[in-house]
Amino acid sequence: MEENNLQCSSVVDGNFEEVPRETAIQFKPPLYRQRYQFVKNLVDQHEPKKVADLGCGDTSLLRLLKVNPCIELLVGVDINEDKLRWRGDSLAPFMGDFLKPRDLNLTITLYHGSVVERDSRLLGFDLITCIELIEHLDSGDLARFPEVVFGYLSPSMIVISTPNSEFNPLFPSVTLRDSDHKFEWTRMEFQTWALYVANRYDYSVEFTGVGEPPAGAENVGYCTQIGIFQKNGGKATEACVSEQHDQHVYKARQGLTMLPRLVLIFHPQAVLLPHLPQMLRLQVFTTSYPSLQQERFFKLVLVNEVSQQVESLRVSHLPRRKEQDGEWGDKPKDIGGSKAPVPCFGPVFTEVEKAKIENSPKPFCVGDKFFVPLQRLLAYPRLNRLCANEEMMRSVIADSIPLSSDGSAVVADLCNYFDEQFEF
Amino acid sequence: MSGRARVKARGVARSPSATEVGRTQASPLPTSVDLSNNEASSSNGFLGTSRISTNDKYGISSGDAGSTSMERGVKNKQDFMDLSICTREKLAHVRDCKTGSSGIPVKLVTNLFNLDFPQDWQLYQYHVTYVPDLASRRLRIALLYSHSELSNKAKAFDGAILFLSQKLEEKVTELSSETQRGETIKMTITLKRELPSSSPVCIQVFNIIFRKILKKLSMYQIGRNFYNPSEPVEIPQHKLSLWPGFAISVSYFESKLLFSADVSYKVLRNETVLEFMTALCQRTGLSGFTQTCEKQLIGLIVLTRYNNRTYSIDDIDWSVKPTHTFQKRDGTEITYVDYYKQQYDITVSDLNQPMLVSLLKRKRNDNSEARLAHLIPELCFLTGLTDQATSNFQLMKAVAEKTRLPPSGRQQRLARLVDNIQRNTNARFELETWGLHFGSQISLTGRVVPSEKILMQDHICQPVSAADWSKDIRTCKILNAQSLNTWLILCSDRTEYVAESFLNCLRRVAGSMGFNVDYPKIIKVQENPAAFVRAVQQYVDPDVQLVMCILPSNQKTYYDSIKKYLSSDCPVPSQCVLARTLNKQGMMMSIATKIAMQMTCKIGGELWAVEIPLKSLMVVGIDVCKDALSKDVMVVGCVASVNPGITRWFSRCILQRTMTDVADCLKVFMTGALNKWYKYNHDLPARIIVYRAGVGDGQLKTLVEYEVPQLLSSVAGSSSNTSSRLSVIVVRRKCMPRFFTEMNRTVQNPPLGTVVDSEATRNEWYDFYLISQVACRGTVSPTYYNVIYDDNGLKPDHMQRLTFKLCHLYYNWPGIVSVPAPCQYAHKLTFLVAQSIHKEPSLELANHLFYL
Repeated sequence: MEENNLQCSSVVDGNFEEVPRETAIQFKPPLYRQRYQFVKNLVDQHEPKKVADLGCGDTSLLRLLKVNPCIELLVGVDINEDKLRWRGDSLAPFMGDFLKPRDLNLTITLYHGSVVERDSRLLGFDLITCIELIEHLDSGDLARFPEVVFGYLSPSMIVISTPNSEFNPLFPSVTLRDSDHKFEWTRMEFQTWALYVANRYDYSVEFTGVGEPPAGAENVGYCTQIGIFQKNGGKATEACVSEQHDQHVYKARQGLTMLPRLVLIFHPQAVLLPHLPQMLRLQVFTTSYPSLQQERFFKLVLVNEVSQQVESLRVSHLPRRKEQDGEWGDKPKDIGGSKAPVPCFGPVFTEVEKAKIENSPKPFCVGDKFFVPLQRLLAYPRLNRLCANEEMMRSVIADSIPLSSDGSAVVADLCNYFDEQFEF
Repeated sequence: MSGRARVKARGVARSPSATEVGRTQASPLPTSVDLSNNEASSSNGFLGTSRISTNDKYGISSGDAGSTSMERGVKNKQDFMDLSICTREKLAHVRDCKTGSSGIPVKLVTNLFNLDFPQDWQLYQYHVTYVPDLASRRLRIALLYSHSELSNKAKAFDGAILFLSQKLEEKVTELSSETQRGETIKMTITLKRELPSSSPVCIQVFNIIFRKILKKLSMYQIGRNFYNPSEPVEIPQHKLSLWPGFAISVSYFESKLLFSADVSYKVLRNETVLEFMTALCQRTGLSGFTQTCEKQLIGLIVLTRYNNRTYSIDDIDWSVKPTHTFQKRDGTEITYVDYYKQQYDITVSDLNQPMLVSLLKRKRNDNSEARLAHLIPELCFLTGLTDQATSNFQLMKAVAEKTRLPPSGRQQRLARLVDNIQRNTNARFELETWGLHFGSQISLTGRVVPSEKILMQDHICQPVSAADWSKDIRTCKILNAQSLNTWLILCSDRTEYVAESFLNCLRRVAGSMGFNVDYPKIIKVQENPAAFVRAVQQYVDPDVQLVMCILPSNQKTYYDSIKKYLSSDCPVPSQCVLARTLNKQGMMMSIATKIAMQMTCKIGGELWAVEIPLKSLMVVGIDVCKDALSKDVMVVGCVASVNPGITRWFSRCILQRTMTDVADCLKVFMTGALNKWYKYNHDLPARIIVYRAGVGDGQLKTLVEYEVPQLLSSVAGSSSNTSSRLSVIVVRRKCMPRFFTEMNRTVQNPPLGTVVDSEATRNEWYDFYLISQVACRGTVSPTYYNVIYDDNGLKPDHMQRLTFKLCHLYYNWPGIVSVPAPCQYAHKLTFLVAQSIHKEPSLELANHLFYL
């Protein structure tokens, strides 16, 4: 009960200071956050591309996971549509995401519906999380759950967390932790169920948890118990895992193309669920993030980086004009220098990178024009990371940045308006 | 063009599309009701997104003397206040009809749309209370929204006040809901008011509805406008991204509720603070870098990339590095680098960067001490444009070129927006549940007032186009010119040759316009600002009529220091010209003509006039802006005509601290102006018409309550028997409506002199729109006039025509300008003082247009 109070007040209204409650056990950080952090660590470790959170609630976990650069598809499913809609639009890309796009595409979609429905749009995932979900399922749904999630969706990895009822006596009240909980399991109950399911659908399972018990009560185990299920077969090495992921992606795409969307929308029962419920999963929200995989944004980033690098080289080529008359007090003077350490700026290069830059063709001036060879630009690590060869760079930036007549270098005016502004 | 011609060009607003970028709305918006869904919320700062709170600084439009730092709600309230000031009912002669009738009717299309709803449409305002009380707004909203009783009704709710378009069955409805933690909450919904559609509250709600609708079209709300980030316009040379979007509002125009939309662009900068610092460091070198950097950055607003919030930079902490630790809320210590890696999966690459310090705003109902946030420059994007950027001609030109839209393009965008609203199921559903229907685009009839003749010394000229009559008057003599006998030219060795050839050209063109220019004394000085000022100090004596400086660069210090010295310390008219301008091939004649005109005005000449039918009329222009250095200082510029022909002017600029002080200094000015008039005309003017520009949103009340009485008392105070009759007109360069003429199935800018005084105007005001500028490639923006006080009782026709005439009298441009000349003079004067002089110019210069 108490543990859940904490969760509610902080997740739901985002301001847990306002509900001061006497709690026997306080987790730091709060237990719900420990659970989310646990999933996040798992994602960092395994780098799944497609992740679904079943019973995603107000999408807090999705918001935490969306910053992960490896994820390309993030799906949330919940039965409570209001909760999904509530903060759903906060999953949309930020303004900064347009200015500094991700490397890989990311699509986030929220579906309203039951987690025990089959839905082909959730096929082929690398990770499906069910955080504090199963205890909300009634016996019928619980019975159907393994068949749908393990049997039908069959992702590479499944994470299931649920309260550990052995921990409950440490709370002031001994009933269920939430009025909507249909049951709370002991470690033995959960592990028995989990092992049975793993066995049946060919998964291996490990058990762990979050929420350390207080000193003296270590024997009750974690407050939240967690099972990590991994699909068996062909995952001896890391390389194999990633290869397998690729296959999944491929399969998923194939799956979607084989079942055209229209069919899904208008005749889902007929095609997919001959005997299953009327309730159809409704897409509540979807958003896709700008990324370097999209031509438009790739161009934007590359053009910006090139402009910046050219500008930086140009400025360092400018003849330093000396102040003739020092008495004009416009130039700020560093008072003593004791106030602050002199900052040092600019990118720091390794010796290898330095050598590479040194060995590339140098920028040069012809008249009042300044030229930077594309080869030179490619020597800088930030640009090299974006663009592999000169041809590619040329074709992307050609209509945005002036190039020399043979196209081998960027051209700029050696002096421009801003230079005068900085003449002190 | 002369040295400051760039500034002038902007002053005249030759490129209206540049000013429309990031424009602010002049229409009412919600007061107390704020129903944006994503209110800033998360206390731990890692989950939440917050609404981007922005102010005028954020866009280009930093010109509004309004409330930049004020909270949004307050600002909205202020806009709204303007509409409750009903000035028309006190003006007997326009109470029944404020429309004119002269001129040629012209059919105009607007950017306004009908909003239809049933005749008996009403809005029901309820108050909702919770037992036990809930402090969290989000929870309050969630509980109410999830209730089946309300689930499929159109509603707007801010946590306390609920608006419904359908009445609930009972006056008081009791509901109860269970929270997630099983607590039962009782909600009592009590009917407070039934509001007709004309109620101001309804207008707020309509605005909220449309904000919701635009969000449903995947547009981003920034400030009060909506932008589409998926179709950005890029200007990589200047590291800018422009997001296309719309400024929208719903309000009452005359008798109808109308939706208005105008194309707007948001300027975002593709530059992090770290990149900015690195570039700056490269330019300035390390010595003095910290000071320069602080000077450039402090006060700017930055956008953090990881949580979409905006912060202002209040300080830079050079001693803290990303590798240092800080204490999290839960008491644990963590380095900044680790924190950003853990929380946002962001790797900080530069470990030597200093930290930006931002003073966090306190939350509502929070009296705790203000907190400081340390921000990593690498993760902060710069927003808005710096003053330096807005004064960069190339940059502004690039922005204008990208954002300029001809009327047809604008019309297409509008059509697409309306189409999207009507096609998008969610958006249409939202409208329909409220009982609203999107109607047709409004067309109305305007009138084109007759064009004006330009009166020269011995020639009356009917220009081919009022936009530019420089060619028409080339062979004519100007009205009146003083002879220029004693003057100086300051130039450097490098520019001596060009100065000589320019001088020859200048004397030739001046002669042909009837302006006698003798040979000046030429003084050679070193190329630095101090040398110029020293030379001025050394050579200027009381006989010198004018000083011309050929500036070697457009570094601001040259101009500022010379102007400062010659405007207040030693008041002598001055003319600065950039050496580069004189080097332009084939332009010498037109440049010399322009400069000759400015010079003759600066020593008291008059260029041209228009026919003024009123015999004893003084026109006054007032503009207000903030000082560029000390933002709490208001620069008030006042310019009054001192002869019946309206060709001679008395100009004064006064620095003030508050708006009420502005009213006080108007009295000081008016007394001086009337004395001058009396001196020249041996009588007082029968009529005075004051054009007041620089009025921010929500300031109308101050104007009516303080400024008008002050002006009246200064008019009455100066004469015992007859007092001059006064009119006060508020002039706004920016307004929501746009007008187009339909021609050959496409839309175009309406002709010069088009007046609109119906349908797009407000019932409670005596107001009209006048088009008195040309936009070659963009869309022209009408100037909005609101007559708030009028003793003169001129017919609307005459008031409109007089205003149009006055737009012809700005001597810095041989053509029509967007506002009446006295306003443009006042604007030019305040600009000079606010940007360069920063103190009151000497009164000795008040009789000349020394600031042109």
